Amino acid sequence: MKILIIEDEQELAKDMMKFLASEQYLCEWAFDFEEAMDKISAYEYDCILLDLMLPGGDGLSILNELKELNKQDGVIIISAKNSIEDKVKGLKLGADDYLAKPFHQAELAARIESLIRRKHFNSSNIIHHNEIEIDLQAKTVKVQNQFVNITKKEFQLLLFFVGNKNRVLSKSALAEHLSGDFADMFDNHDFVYAHVKNLKRKLKEAGYGDYIKTIYGTGYKWEQ
Amino acid sequence: MTKLLHRPLKAFAIYALVILAVSIPVYAWVVDYIWVNELDENNWLTLEHTKEKLVKQHFEAEELKLVNRLWGQVQPGIAISPAPQKQVFQDSIYEVIRPNEYDLDDGEDRFRGLKSYIELNGKPYFITIETNLEESDETFMAITLVTAGFLLILVLGFMVLNRRISKSSWQPFYQTLLNLRAFDLSRSKGLELEDTNILEFQELNESLQKLVERNLVVYQQQKAFTENASHELQTPIALLKSKLDLLLQEKDISSEISEIINGIEAPLSRLSRINKNLLLLAKVENQQFEQQEDIDIKSAMKFCISLFEDYAENEEISIHNDIQESYTIQANPFLLETLLNNLFSNAIRHNVENGSIILKLENGTLYVYNSGEFVLNEDSLFKRFSSSTSNKVSSGLGLAIVSEVAKQYGWQVYYAFEKGHHIFSVNFWNSDFLPN
Repeated sequence: MKILIIEDEQELAKDMMKFLASEQYLCEWAFDFEEAMDKISAYEYDCILLDLMLPGGDGLSILNELKELNKQDGVIIISAKNSIEDKVKGLKLGADDYLAKPFHQAELAARIESLIRRKHFNSSNIIHHNEIEIDLQAKTVKVQNQFVNITKKEFQLLLFFVGNKNRVLSKSALAEHLSGDFADMFDNHDFVYAHVKNLKRKLKEAGYGDYIKTIYGTGYKWEQ
Repeated sequence: MTKLLHRPLKAFAIYALVILAVSIPVYAWVVDYIWVNELDENNWLTLEHTKEKLVKQHFEAEELKLVNRLWGQVQPGIAISPAPQKQVFQDSIYEVIRPNEYDLDDGEDRFRGLKSYIELNGKPYFITIETNLEESDETFMAITLVTAGFLLILVLGFMVLNRRISKSSWQPFYQTLLNLRAFDLSRSKGLELEDTNILEFQELNESLQKLVERNLVVYQQQKAFTENASHELQTPIALLKSKLDLLLQEKDISSEISEIINGIEAPLSRLSRINKNLLLLAKVENQQFEQQEDIDIKSAMKFCISLFEDYAENEEISIHNDIQESYTIQANPFLLETLLNNLFSNAIRHNVENGSIILKLENGTLYVYNSGEFVLNEDSLFKRFSSSTSNKVSSGLGLAIVSEVAKQYGWQVYYAFEKGHHIFSVNFWNSDFLPN
């Protein structure tokens, strides 16, 4: 899977590449508008991470260019602007998702995974994972062909874990995933414990392996 | 406080009063003087004429007595009487007040007399001529009345003129005042003042326009500064966050280190929130949220609760959503969401143990009740960084954002404390002006 990171902040681009490297992703980086235009016209990517403010041009023009070239690359806008207008404009121009800076890398990884899944497996909306089966459309979970009764939030968490295998996920990243951009209105994210505990219990009762490990003082990790 | 124009009016009126008051005795004296002079002259003429005629007629002493009697009956103003002896006698003028049966007012009259000496047929005689003269107090009274009448006319005239002048020439001033009152630095592009042909007001208007322009520039710069500063901060914050995420992935992190990392997360997310809120405030002030939609408060609130109910549950705060009916308003969805989220998250954060949150929507007014212990200071509540409680961690901007968003749409936000509950209410229907 090829990912293009269009981001003028070098350090951030490097972090993203490092964080995503553990997956089967191959990351490339474009520093400015010109380089980005060269790359998108020359290659195909499974996912493009697009910063809207670039040296040399507006990120939205890149979306236009992709549309004109009739490219099917998935695009996630990552912007420091966090403006609804840009978000709406970007999504109208064909972007698939929008993530406001600052974000947790795990959130980005989950979004990328979800996007690629949508692009590549749009016929099948079911994720198989060892003995677990997650139906994205119906939002149901089966373990060994038996439905597990989980809440909406537990379902969201499960997907988040599956999209971030073998990574340590902090409480705040989990909380932000559940409460969105407004999670940082609170300092205490202890409620995440309860949800994860319930999720673990339910999966275990259904006969699923104990993959979710608690990392003391930090958060959780889906180990496989 | 008196109106500016009432001051000169008062002064003019008093001045006119004083001058007219002083003029009364002056006029009275002048009129009296003229009277007296004219009468004296008249008396003298009559005397000369009478003397000449008497001398020409050569009257006997008996005849003279008869003449005098006739005069006394027909023309009492003139009399002739024998003098005791021959003498040198100069004409003399005298004034006398005598009862007058024809005077109905006071029964008295002033007379101006001229007494002269004449020798007829070798015998000495006195001739006196008297003319009735208006008494000086009567003259005084008449002049006073007339003057008072004029004073009244004068003052009335002043008032009418004053009103007219104030209406026409002060009109630009009041127009300027009106424009200034309506002026709002945060939403205006400038101060529009009409040109006037009155020099002082034109100068005033020009100075005001210059002042406002300078202030607008400073205000824009300040706003741009906030926006730019928080914008510039976004990237380092994003970097810190991503570095922490990477750090967490490191193998063999001791529990001490992971606790430290965990300890960084909280202040970092607070920093991020403050920064986001500052940026948001700047954008709201700059009216960068123009797009509007029909939004139902009931469902928006429901969504807000779904975002935060976990936090409330964690603090063992019960939520009672008593919102029954839908209420649709026109607003920017993001701004409304921000307003509701801030109100609701505040209600969770500033709650008490086992407290509660009650939500109500009545007549287009949303009420958020939450348990609390003390009345908060309403004056500083909605100001930036004026944390009313010291023990809670907050960005200090939540309510400032609520109030700013409300201001954009002309909604009213109120705070009250009743029976152990803080009550924040937002009145959505009273949006009498729309953002430009």
